[in-house]
Amino acid sequence: MEEKEVLLDVRNLSKTYRVGSVDIHALRGVTLQIQKGESVCIIGRSGSGKSTLLNLLAGLERVSGGEIVIAGKRLDRMSEGELIRFRQRHVGFVFQSFNLMPYYTALENVAFPLAFRGMARRERNRDAKHILQEVGLETHLRHKPAQMSGGQQQRVGIARALVTNPELVFADEPTGNLDFATGDEVMRTICDICKAAGRTLIMVTHDAHIASFADRVITLLDGRVVEDSSNPLEEK
Amino acid sequence: MKFFDLLQTAFLNLWRRKLRAILTVLGLVVGITSIVVMISLGLGIEKATLDFYESMGSLTIIDVQAGSYSEDGKYVEKKIDDQSIAAFEGVPGVQAVLPMLNLYGLVTSGKYFTNLQILGVDAGTAETFGFTLAEGAMPTYSRGARSYEIVFSPWVLQSFYNPKTWQVAVDREGNSLITKNSRFRLTFDWMNVYGNQSMETPEGYTPGKFYRLELVGVLSEENYNYSWYSLMAKDAVLRLMKENKDFVYAQEGYQSAQIKCVTMDEVASVRQAVMELGYTTYSALDMVEQAQEQTRMLRAVLGAIGAVALLVAAIGIMNTMMMSIYERTREIGIIKVLGCRMGNIVTMFLMEALLIGFFGGLFGLGLSYGASALINLWMARGGGMGMGMGLPFQSVIPLYLAAGGVLFSMVVALISGLYPALRAMRLSALAAIRNE
Repeated sequence: MEEKEVLLDVRNLSKTYRVGSVDIHALRGVTLQIQKGESVCIIGRSGSGKSTLLNLLAGLERVSGGEIVIAGKRLDRMSEGELIRFRQRHVGFVFQSFNLMPYYTALENVAFPLAFRGMARRERNRDAKHILQEVGLETHLRHKPAQMSGGQQQRVGIARALVTNPELVFADEPTGNLDFATGDEVMRTICDICKAAGRTLIMVTHDAHIASFADRVITLLDGRVVEDSSNPLEEK
Repeated sequence: MKFFDLLQTAFLNLWRRKLRAILTVLGLVVGITSIVVMISLGLGIEKATLDFYESMGSLTIIDVQAGSYSEDGKYVEKKIDDQSIAAFEGVPGVQAVLPMLNLYGLVTSGKYFTNLQILGVDAGTAETFGFTLAEGAMPTYSRGARSYEIVFSPWVLQSFYNPKTWQVAVDREGNSLITKNSRFRLTFDWMNVYGNQSMETPEGYTPGKFYRLELVGVLSEENYNYSWYSLMAKDAVLRLMKENKDFVYAQEGYQSAQIKCVTMDEVASVRQAVMELGYTTYSALDMVEQAQEQTRMLRAVLGAIGAVALLVAAIGIMNTMMMSIYERTREIGIIKVLGCRMGNIVTMFLMEALLIGFFGGLFGLGLSYGASALINLWMARGGGMGMGMGLPFQSVIPLYLAAGGVLFSMVVALISGLYPALRAMRLSALAAIRNE
């Protein structure tokens, strides 16, 4: 067993939205640590705060209280420009609704984040082609999203999230727009690749079955962690 | 992001909404065309004005008159003599000085005669001041020669008449009886032509001499400023003046002088210097400035029309960009999540604006050349005369206007795109997460 290294350290994290004159407490003091290489699933009902937690961890929203330390850096103190640079270097993101650029081919979509890093076209395409092979789409390089099934599109989405070699991969309901069988396949793909490369995967879902793919499940309820285990659902 | 990737992305983003992009560009095309054509008309009118006055007399020549009027209107005498001519020549920016050495004489040829206004010049100076010959050569003077060399003004040969009958020296077909090959004699004594009309011979009167003239050339009619002068060598004129003191009014020095400046830019400073010496000056540039003052208003109106069209186009660009940002809110969120830097987002949108500006400017310029050619064609057919412009003018698009037009178009687009680009940069990355 390799030595455990804390990649993500969250302390007393809170998030409050103000809607009109009413404060809505989405997170009420979440504390958790995630090791490098772990695959974690955050599960909870609608309104439990799981999506908010993911957004905060990915630096898409500002925290109201508490701190987030990722790879030794205080995420909650970064400016938006720094957050973007941080995501560029360390984070991959898989969306529920795929969010592929409809006018780009699969290859171009996957190569797109590399362009933001100023990589040359030839190297971009080489890396993108390689990762598309890993997700099993080497035959669909020139297809546009509209010419692919939902499962294939999400594979492109996964390839796009992984092409930059991120230490941390976030997935927001990655199977939410897919049917049961396809969802399973996609989950297997993403978990396998992340595990093989030693990447940390943090998913959000409300689906207990999907959660069974993860090493660890964190259950949220009303903005608090109510259960944190090494996958008790699998043991049942 | 690499520059080329940014450019390509920006272009693709525009191309995805072809019709809208083309319509926006079209708005800018109209704006740029109107402003370029308006400016080109303004330039054309100015050029026509300058050419007109240039044709009337060189704009680099200053006319100097003896003496000046002080501020309270008193005439202060100041003669123009050889010393002052030398002083004029010493003023920086002066190319040459022509003292106006005038001599009024009578030329007879057989029973016909005509009046002659003679200007004494040096051959070199004459050429500098733009005396051009229709034929022949400039007059020279050599002491002791049996005749005086002269160059006639273009209308001398047609103006001979008989002093007794007032008959003009032409034949029935209207051709002049006097030709280049006729024999000419010059005198300064009126009685030699009209006879003694008072029937009394003044005491001590000795008739004025006749001098034989040798016609060596004829001036061209293009010398608008000097067309009434016939030319003789300066020394010849001085000698004739001395010999005919009784008949010619020989004042000290010169009545006036003309100064030729190297370029138009020196005219003002040279005039100032000459005026400080105590002389009165005139320049054709005064008229040009007056005329330019008059066309300035016209040009301002033309420019304003163009500016309004361009303003409308700029608003169009802004509108297009804002629309495009609202449509792409989600997409902008996605690329932010994927790690596209804020600066890159601004640059990408500014590039879209710049592309609109570039193509708008380019096609606008093309249309401007077309419109300019049409206007010139119409002017060539005399269409401009009906507009009361007075002068026929050409729409000209110099290279700096062409380059400036495209550049200006890009600047306008850039300014219009600035706010939308900043808006795009500030959009939240969260937009990418929301599920529709």
